[in-house]
Amino acid sequence: MLNVGVIIKLEPDFSEGNVSYNSDGTLNRAETKNILGPHSAVACNAAFYCKVKYGAQISIGTMGPPIAETALRQAQVLTNAEELNLYSDRLFAGADTLATAEVLKNGVGKMFGGGIIDIVFSGHRASDGETGQTGPQTAWKLGYTFLGNVIEFNIDSDRKVVIAKRLISLQGMDTIIEEVESPLPVFITIDPSYRSIYNTVSQRLLLNKFRKEGRKRSEDYRQFLKVYTSKNLDLDPKRVGLQGSPTIVYRVEKIPRARTNRKTEIIDPSNPNNIMPLITKIIQLARGK
Amino acid sequence: MEQFDAVIIGGGTAGLSALKKLSDLNKSAILIEAGNQMGTKNVSGGILYSKRDPSTTIYNVEDVFGSDFVSSAPIERLIKKYYLHATSKSKIFTLDLTPLHEYKTNFGYSVLLNRLVPWLAERASESAEKHGGGIITGVHVSDIQWIDDKTIVTTNELEEFQAKAIIAADGVNSEVAELTAARHKFTPEELYFGVKVIIKLPERIIEERFNLDSSEGSAHLFAGDITSNLIGGGFLYTNRETLSLGAVYHYDSLLSNPITPSQLINQLIENSLISEYIKDEVPLRNDIKDLPKEDQLKIHLSASKLMKTYDELRYKYFSKNSKELVESGKFTNIEEIRTKIDSIKKDLIEKYGVQFVNNYVELEYSAKLIPDGKRCRMKKPFYRNILFIGDAAGRGIFIGPKIEGLNVGIDDAVRASIAISRSLENSNFGSDYMGKYYESLINESPYTNDMKKIDKDYLTLFLDIVRNISTGFIDPRYSFVLNLMKNSGFRGIAVGLANILGYDKILPIVESKNTYIQLPISLANRLGNIFTSSYVPAIPTLSERIAKLQYNDDTDSHIIVKNKKSEFMKKLVLLCPTKCYSSEEGEVILQHEGCVECGTCSFETDWKHPKGEKGIIYRYG
Amino acid sequence: MSVSVSQEKTKNDIEKYRHIYVIIEHFEGKIIPVTLEMLGEARRLMDEFNQKYNSSEKVVAVVLGYNVRQLCNDLVTYGADSVIYADHEELKYPINDIDTKIIAQIAKDAEIMKKISPEYEKTFVKPRYMFFAADNIGRHLSSTVLAELDSGLASDINKLVISDLDIRHEHKTKGQSIRYEKVLEMYRPDFSGFLWTTILCLDNKNPEIFREYHPQGCSIIPGAFKPIEKDSSRKGTIVEYSPNIDHNLKIKILNRRVIKKTIDYETCKIVVSFGRGIKDNPEQNIKLVEEFAELIGAEIGITLPLSKKPYQISQQLDSKYMIVDRVIGTSGSNVMPSLYIAIGLSGAVQHISGMKDSEVVISINPDENSPIIDESDIFIKGRMEDVLPILIDQIKKQMSTVSIRSN
Repeated sequence: MLNVGVIIKLEPDFSEGNVSYNSDGTLNRAETKNILGPHSAVACNAAFYCKVKYGAQISIGTMGPPIAETALRQAQVLTNAEELNLYSDRLFAGADTLATAEVLKNGVGKMFGGGIIDIVFSGHRASDGETGQTGPQTAWKLGYTFLGNVIEFNIDSDRKVVIAKRLISLQGMDTIIEEVESPLPVFITIDPSYRSIYNTVSQRLLLNKFRKEGRKRSEDYRQFLKVYTSKNLDLDPKRVGLQGSPTIVYRVEKIPRARTNRKTEIIDPSNPNNIMPLITKIIQLARGK
Repeated sequence: MEQFDAVIIGGGTAGLSALKKLSDLNKSAILIEAGNQMGTKNVSGGILYSKRDPSTTIYNVEDVFGSDFVSSAPIERLIKKYYLHATSKSKIFTLDLTPLHEYKTNFGYSVLLNRLVPWLAERASESAEKHGGGIITGVHVSDIQWIDDKTIVTTNELEEFQAKAIIAADGVNSEVAELTAARHKFTPEELYFGVKVIIKLPERIIEERFNLDSSEGSAHLFAGDITSNLIGGGFLYTNRETLSLGAVYHYDSLLSNPITPSQLINQLIENSLISEYIKDEVPLRNDIKDLPKEDQLKIHLSASKLMKTYDELRYKYFSKNSKELVESGKFTNIEEIRTKIDSIKKDLIEKYGVQFVNNYVELEYSAKLIPDGKRCRMKKPFYRNILFIGDAAGRGIFIGPKIEGLNVGIDDAVRASIAISRSLENSNFGSDYMGKYYESLINESPYTNDMKKIDKDYLTLFLDIVRNISTGFIDPRYSFVLNLMKNSGFRGIAVGLANILGYDKILPIVESKNTYIQLPISLANRLGNIFTSSYVPAIPTLSERIAKLQYNDDTDSHIIVKNKKSEFMKKLVLLCPTKCYSSEEGEVILQHEGCVECGTCSFETDWKHPKGEKGIIYRYG
Repeated sequence: MSVSVSQEKTKNDIEKYRHIYVIIEHFEGKIIPVTLEMLGEARRLMDEFNQKYNSSEKVVAVVLGYNVRQLCNDLVTYGADSVIYADHEELKYPINDIDTKIIAQIAKDAEIMKKISPEYEKTFVKPRYMFFAADNIGRHLSSTVLAELDSGLASDINKLVISDLDIRHEHKTKGQSIRYEKVLEMYRPDFSGFLWTTILCLDNKNPEIFREYHPQGCSIIPGAFKPIEKDSSRKGTIVEYSPNIDHNLKIKILNRRVIKKTIDYETCKIVVSFGRGIKDNPEQNIKLVEEFAELIGAEIGITLPLSKKPYQISQQLDSKYMIVDRVIGTSGSNVMPSLYIAIGLSGAVQHISGMKDSEVVISINPDENSPIIDESDIFIKGRMEDVLPILIDQIKKQMSTVSIRSN
């Protein structure tokens, strides 16, 4: 049996009609709805693929306040997960990525009663200011091989390896698709462009069955839910939350922008005097000044 | 290669009925639907009928999906009243056609297919899964081949698989029909073109305005000057919290007098009676200038959020379920909800500069071709081991105010399922055995009769209604005929004569500009009441209408223009409901983005449905 | 707060953390531009730092790869004082876990320090600051390296300042005000794009939870900083590091495939787009746009209708420009360059939505009623055939012989 873990995150819904801001320009969290983050949802889809294709069992984990249950529930709809884990403790509050990874490392360690998790999926990054660092840091702490920006993968259960394609796009360079092979266990962050491909009728029928089951399970999701604190995750309080975070947010300010609305200036090109200031401006901008 | 007993192509009401019926007959069936979710590609005018006929069997939706259909399915309103409004500018003359609506009818419900189809799908798949079948979405069938004794289905998305029998339920633009050449591509004279908008209106406001009891609805047809001189008419159906407002015209009439479909809708909205029907108090936001763009955006988003809250609360307040808000403990009584709504409104006005004005709210613009069964139904609705049902078989009823399609497809589906079931039991899928049998079952359907000849009793009912109009005022030609028809003896002779002549001969006389345009106009002019509208509706532009639609864009076009210079294609610059065609230097250029897959251009193009999950995603249908 | 110079000196001598380490990215022998941008910013910060603190700390470039020796000299000419390189066949392509281990080894290696800064050899423990690129490779590498070094980092930075700060923090200082010296202030635009969050990586000075956090790491957005002018006379130490490669490599690269030449709208400063205004002489007009764009170092975009190939033009121009990849707008790319030049396009809503966030917009169009005028700072009223030659001519004159293309 393939064991799959997924790390997800509850995030503000930034879509119009759901997001609200305070008058000082900061996010109004009370008025903004929270949802399973879109990148987390993609990670869930990848885990679900393992279930349909390889009969995997799925365990989902998230660190957050009790309300993060919502995200677990939504993730169960997507994955038909067997297990939901909420890592929730006042001590975890204010954690940066290193302190978060510390919690998630132990969280993954507790999945399925402490068995080996063959693949852990997480989203590419969160949309509310997170950094795309949590996945790789958790992987490193777990000692798992890390694969980022994965767009496609297949598992060879006999050889216990995963064969994955990952996207590498670097500034000014051609995009590269790199195909790699890695032994299990492996930690994968899924690229936003990932799409599960189910290409036989039987897989599609199985997928329907699991989806339906997932919806059903999620109606009674608490039955699948385990809540962990720092204590039963065996965590050192000094290494989690604000106490365990190397970084702090020192200051938040508006990014100064010179420009407001455009006040259009109409130029008649037939008079060279009109053109000259424009030329200077273009050259300045071309030089990046 | 995977193999399946019965494969149904297309997940509309007909296809789903086939899946349900086959499963209930203990057969294993799968249904393949191209849309990413069930219902997202379906559009209908909006009334689903259940009919009865004492002399024969009709298979209705509740027979297929369970006797609790009416109480459980997400259907809109039970249509109790059926009117025809003859219009001439602000003058309107109204005829009550309710007896026609009630003729051989168990019920007629207004429906929104994007709500109904997922429910039908849920029921059908539940049955299908018991026999190893089910529904597969996001898959587009691209080919069917017969190799040796095998039928191989090819799709854009899945590995090939085999089918013993196939039901083609892929609609008016059936690709299965085209792949197999089972029938010719429908010509414009065999089709109607429909265009529709969904308009938002709170539940209790609809009931007050249309004078309806809770859960009940009315249907309104329009003829006269609003039709822009085209043969056809407008319709307005009440749904639970929306209205379906649309127009249906003879396609060849549109071809001889091309008008942008969006304009056909506008013509209706500009009518004073209709604009009063659809009116609502609508927030109008004024964008705040003189602030940095990012602040503007944030204010915009915050106002959006508040407007959404306002809207949701207001709709809830005006709905049957308003009590829930009190029961859930959020509010202590109904009045408190009203107070809350008013206070949000005040905030919107004072803090965000929102104004509240008389206007109306459009939710979705859609278009569809409708087969005129009188002219285009397949006489042989099968090919090898494929059976055609519903729109795909060209089966729809269009006789004056009698417009039925969904119920026909459901009835076809049951008959096709019976035929396939018999074949599965006897392992014989030959066209002489299965196809011919299906044909015989279809010919027993009273709907087939309706497509063949005039129903004397229906006509009698119609004439009884018309007889009450004082006839002295109209054109002597009509008054003569009407007077003649008052005599039941003459009536019998006339109908008999008409049926001897057949639809082919009499239709050009009946479906004429006189009947559809001049007569209603003169009725309205002579007898109509004057209606005035209290506001001028701000009608969205076509690009605003398109912007509201959801798509999953495909970079490859599913349409290929064959002749860029043909007269037909040039007319599409006007006729395409989403303006996918433009003209440049005498050539027609296609931009398929924005296409709603109606098939209006299919007659002279290489037209396919988009690949699985691609294309338009309707939310109301 | 007055600290005497001698005290300061003593304190400096026992500092365990030194230098800015910049992790270099390269591809098939070419240095990725962000690398030079990071070096440029590191150079500026370090020059200021050394002056202010009277020290001689360095900009240290770290390169892993195969046959990368020749890149090292280039890095010196772009601002590195020292380059540490590890050359091995197994390092030909970036692999996260191998690279992480080697970079962490290098960061803690006292032998190397002997070669590049003998004066700090005895006290050196780890780098003071570390820069990575915020791209598909650096983003992950920065995370794993800092996890291995047990310190903190900030991602997607576009402004950096080094300063001394008085900090009062519930945990870090147990509520006391304590002066932190040589703190890297890392500015990152937040998710909305409107706010700047300054992140600091600080030691815990509260004795109950005492922990030191160095290096202070960050990943830097490509295009955020400018490289320094290449200076071939610069001198630097180049040190080879022999990595300890685990020959039971976990990850095997089976295949690498280049998928397409992407058009880089993300980092270019100027975008020039054209629309149906080219219609009178498409071939000539596209060439005119091409010449203009080349001159000012701009990337070229098109409007959606042009991707449908409405004009008969040469295969060469057609396959280069009339393609979906170049479409700016809702069905294509969103761009926000410093300067957007709209040539012969009317400004359909779909197009506007893809370019409206550009800093400055200039449009060239004969029709004052085109909607593009509302999105323009400068609207040049005229046909492109007439206007572009004037602009090209004048720009050439003003620039005389100096080429301003950044690459």
